[in-house]
Amino acid sequence: MKNKKIPHLIISFCLFSLLLLSSCATQPPSRFDQAQQESVAAGNKNTAVDKNAVKGANFNQFFPSNSGNYQRVFTQEKAGFVQAKLKENGQDLATLAIFDTISNPSAKDDFKNSTDKINGFPLIEKGSNNTAVLVANRYQVSVRSANSNFSSEQRKEWLSKFDLTGLSQLK
Amino acid sequence: MSKSIFELVDNLPKSNVTTMVLNALDFVVPGQWHNVTNFEQMIREVTGETDEEMIQKIGDRAVWLFNDKTQGYQNALWLYQTVDKADYALGAAALANKVGSKIGLLSFLNRLTPNNEKAQALDLAIKLVVEVVAFCQINGLPGDSIGDFVAALKEYESDALMRMAALICLDGLVPFGADFILKVESTLNNISTQELNNNTGFSSVSKLIPGNNPAGKLQFINSSFDAVKDWMIGFVSSHNLTQNEVIKNLSKFIEFSEDQLDYVAAFLDMSTNYFEHTGTQSIAKSLISRAMAEV
Repeated sequence: MKNKKIPHLIISFCLFSLLLLSSCATQPPSRFDQAQQESVAAGNKNTAVDKNAVKGANFNQFFPSNSGNYQRVFTQEKAGFVQAKLKENGQDLATLAIFDTISNPSAKDDFKNSTDKINGFPLIEKGSNNTAVLVANRYQVSVRSANSNFSSEQRKEWLSKFDLTGLSQLK
Repeated sequence: MSKSIFELVDNLPKSNVTTMVLNALDFVVPGQWHNVTNFEQMIREVTGETDEEMIQKIGDRAVWLFNDKTQGYQNALWLYQTVDKADYALGAAALANKVGSKIGLLSFLNRLTPNNEKAQALDLAIKLVVEVVAFCQINGLPGDSIGDFVAALKEYESDALMRMAALICLDGLVPFGADFILKVESTLNNISTQELNNNTGFSSVSKLIPGNNPAGKLQFINSSFDAVKDWMIGFVSSHNLTQNEVIKNLSKFIEFSEDQLDYVAAFLDMSTNYFEHTGTQSIAKSLISRAMAEV
């Protein structure tokens, strides 16, 4: 009896060690796991983009145009979203974007605390290097600095160069 | 359900034959590519953001966007993964048999079958078309807008630029030398739709290549190549790229002789997946860049 017990003990010990090792080998949970689980649970209802979002191409006309050494280069165009780079003599200064918040209405929440305005539209600092304005309570226009030389004042200046009034009339 | 975008990035190898090859090509586009294999780190680098709440929101939004199949990112990933038919066992064996700092090609010759010229030329053309289609899936330009793609090539940077540099060097210059463009052109001009259909590279990705039938798809491949060839010629001349220069840099970690270039090309084809590796990085960066304006 005694002799039989020893292998059992060894086997149990090995199995336990394996379990311990394999649990150590898996990656620590990511801070984005919850979003993944919620998104997977939504199944086919996972529509990150609302079907009524404005066609991206409709936003292009409201971006500031090229002027002097400044260049605007469109980089992404998806439903309810257009993005462009702002460059000066070929160097990246900032990323410009217009987003239809119908696809992610929580983006509008921060504007409730806005104290500043451009053309009557609420303006806020969103994050550490990004300034945004909410047009017609629907379209978020943002300018994000590509490096620390492009200041918050410059971001505001470039936001005012968008045709915000024209955008506010877009249906 | 497929993997999340953060898993895909976090699971990218830190060091394997692919990363060694890409590092060896750093001389072409110095400093453009570094191997980011951590999604959170990528968010910090792409956005320059330091606000933790904002980083969380950006990552969460990127996760949702990636999982929405209507948004094209899954198609792009599939294309990048499918066009690379790497034999991971060969890559692992090559690393295991490394003598000193070099991989000896000699011990793998019996496992390698060099492509004939036609198959090799077609391989380059198909990879290029995959890049055109994946670019449009990721960045949302219309699926057949080759002109937009060529304009955007000038904006290519980091992983995307490295991918194009690797395509020119590994699939163009190494097997064909300086006149690789002519070789591909003449192959495309003389190929029948039947031959195209029989090509395994083409048949694996053909369902996402624009065109209603094989003839239409062949036409799309031709016009893609036509539109991009001037950019490639310009890239080769502005970077003073030659077959010798590429070989010199590859021979820093692979040991081979000059009469084995066919085998080097076959070895790189089988042991690397640089389209999938850098393609995953490009998709994640594009998602992050979009997500930062959508939260």
